Amino acid sequence: MKETNKGATFVKEVWHKYNFILIFLAIFAVFLIINGGATTMTTVMNIPRHSTVIGIIALGMGLIILTGDIDLSVGSQLALVGGLTVMVFNSTNSILTALVFAIFMGVVLGLINGILVGLVKMPAFIVTLATMLMFRSIAQTVMNNHNWTIYQLDASLSQWKPLWVIGNSSVLRVPILVLILIGVVAVMTYLSTSTKFGKKVYAIGSNERAAQLSGINVSLSRVMVFVIAGVLIGIASFLYVANVGSVDPATSGKSYELYAIAGVVIGGISMSGGKGRILGIVFGSMSFTIIDKVINALGMNPLINDTIKGAILLLAIAVQMLPIITQKLRKAKNT
Amino acid sequence: MKILQMNDISKQFFGVTVLDHVSFDVEEGEVHALLGENGAGKSTLMNILGGVHQRDGGSVEFCGKAMENISVKSAGEAGIAFVHQELNVINDLKVYENLFLNQEILGKLRHLNKKEMIRQAQELFTRLGVDIDPNEMVGNLETSRKQLLEIAKALHAEAKLFILDEPTTALNNEEIEHMFGIVRRLKAEGKSFIFISHKMPEIFALADRYTILRNGKFISAGNISEASPEGITKQMVGEGYVNQEVYESRPLGEPILEMENLSGPGFHDVSLSVRQGEVLGFTGLKGAGSSDLMQAIFGVTSISGGTLKVWGKPAVSGTIHKAMKNKIAMLAANRKENSVIPEMTLIENTYIAEHCLSNRHQHIHKKQELGKYDRLKQLLNIKAESPNDLIVSLSGGNQQKVILGRWLNTEAEILLLDNPTQGIDVGAKAEIYKLIQDLAKQGKTIIVNTLEIPEIQKVADRCVVFYHGSIQDVLEREEITEAKVMLLATNAAAVQAEQG
Repeated sequence: MKETNKGATFVKEVWHKYNFILIFLAIFAVFLIINGGATTMTTVMNIPRHSTVIGIIALGMGLIILTGDIDLSVGSQLALVGGLTVMVFNSTNSILTALVFAIFMGVVLGLINGILVGLVKMPAFIVTLATMLMFRSIAQTVMNNHNWTIYQLDASLSQWKPLWVIGNSSVLRVPILVLILIGVVAVMTYLSTSTKFGKKVYAIGSNERAAQLSGINVSLSRVMVFVIAGVLIGIASFLYVANVGSVDPATSGKSYELYAIAGVVIGGISMSGGKGRILGIVFGSMSFTIIDKVINALGMNPLINDTIKGAILLLAIAVQMLPIITQKLRKAKNT
Repeated sequence: MKILQMNDISKQFFGVTVLDHVSFDVEEGEVHALLGENGAGKSTLMNILGGVHQRDGGSVEFCGKAMENISVKSAGEAGIAFVHQELNVINDLKVYENLFLNQEILGKLRHLNKKEMIRQAQELFTRLGVDIDPNEMVGNLETSRKQLLEIAKALHAEAKLFILDEPTTALNNEEIEHMFGIVRRLKAEGKSFIFISHKMPEIFALADRYTILRNGKFISAGNISEASPEGITKQMVGEGYVNQEVYESRPLGEPILEMENLSGPGFHDVSLSVRQGEVLGFTGLKGAGSSDLMQAIFGVTSISGGTLKVWGKPAVSGTIHKAMKNKIAMLAANRKENSVIPEMTLIENTYIAEHCLSNRHQHIHKKQELGKYDRLKQLLNIKAESPNDLIVSLSGGNQQKVILGRWLNTEAEILLLDNPTQGIDVGAKAEIYKLIQDLAKQGKTIIVNTLEIPEIQKVADRCVVFYHGSIQDVLEREEITEAKVMLLATNAAAVQAEQG
């Protein structure tokens, strides 16, 4: 009796800690079955490759959600930072300048959100809803003023080719984008688990009052979290530009806030903050990317895409809540 | 004629007797003060009367009728109105809407007859002598008005007996007088009141009779006119508190914490000097200002006047970080809301404050932390298995020790402990007081804020008694007795002088 109990709690613990990987593996298995013999190293590598931009954005979103806030403006930030980065590259022909500028712009936009949320203490949902509208509209206005239809990298520049290489080629069959993703994940995992700052982020999301009374500068930490998310969006925007070669403010990064939030949630981070692991976010984001590929492989109508993604999101939440649901059912039975 | 007769009421919670054959009665048209320390059983008795708890034994007779299986609803219908400390009015509705909530007057077309409701509300307020506009939003009323609205609501429901549970805690003197006027007016109409209060002047100003409970037992009852505040206090506290001696006298150092005419939210004109190595007890009724003063010293709130010196230098007000840099720590009251970080482990909870001391060296050295955690765990005798267990998996006493560890871990020299033994068992309490004494011997300066005077007697060199936001008196160790502290905390001395 005791043995089975012990086994049960062990399974429960593994389930609780790693269900994001199990969900990913389940979806991945479906992908492999459908692809069958057509599966190659490239098709497998395409999963993390196509998850890089949204994954890096979701890592920033995850940090924000860990403090109990939210950022609806990430997609619009991608459009604005990406668009302006294209302009900077076109006028400087310098990859490094473009990268530094992208990160700088990300920090500026993150600061705007962070100061309004952290210092002015406006609700994050409203602040980022407002900046979501503003950032994309600014990107469109700037483009319109130049009489462009999209922000397009100038392919005649000497540095265009190296930039394209960063976004599209591989080292030892591993896409460069994936290597960068792995690097960012490693840094963010370290930040969240092994630094004082990381612990403060969790503490704020878990019990803000207790965090404050422990000496944590809650306002400043909130600003910092939005700034770090801004840095990540800067990197993601740069990679997006390198990968795609252009930014269309009307469509680039559209709905990314929703996919990022979904990735964070499937990754097992609690929406009320304070709970969950950064590593889960990558798997959450990749789970969504695979769904795209599965729909593609099955030759289904792409319009059904979001229906399936929504259903998977609901399923993932239900699975995570399984222990709580069964507990409630048991209670209901007993009374 | 007796309106209420409660006989031989007994009640146990989880095998612990909280009421032991208690009898209590109220005459028609009187104000009856129900007295006793925290945990004496007053609330349980009233909750039985109000239908919140069911009695295990005894009988209740109200208006000559025996009451069995009292529910909140049946108590209300019988005419018993419980005016709670936390107000039960709805801020987003108008005054008359609150008054007629669930008893709305309808017109012919089953629409709300607003005119009639407003007229009746106006009539009721005139009768009470209360100046409230029935069309005002309740959220715009001051606390005292809200309380009067609750009384009016009960009156409208034709209550005969009102239970007032510490109704004056949130009121100023003028508002208290006004409220007492209304109570006297209703008393003249034949309404009865049970009045629960810790403040002696109010009891002597308003009540006709009293009943004292202690440790769940009936102690005495009588007429206020024949009683003295001191006599009542003694009976509330009881004699012969046995305790194990932990106190040791020791040499004290230089003044380390100096306050001069210090004012801030919840306290004013506090002058006090605390010496290094001293253990100081703070006490006073809820809201008397001792907890507020601690928060101001720790930088949670800002100082509005006077000076605060730490280590002989003026302290920067309103920042916790600066206070921590000054080697001050505060164990906050209400562990669950203010201290425990539920989603974090024991070791994380132990280190979260230490991490805030400096932003340099962001990297966490896990091995180093484990070593220090183990030493703290041993020192505090924390009963836990793994440092990676969540803090919420521990009992209240062990959680409190972890939080105490969090502050010892910051190497603080001045420890402000706000109600440190709240909700923890007797064994853990004793350990915490032993620890306070040990820390003081090592030269740490400790201020303990508690309502439990025996705890102050155990460890304190001096006891500071607060009343209404300022220091009532500072007692030396030899002078600290429960009766004396209660007299000061309830300002009973002032009444005695008046009567004197």
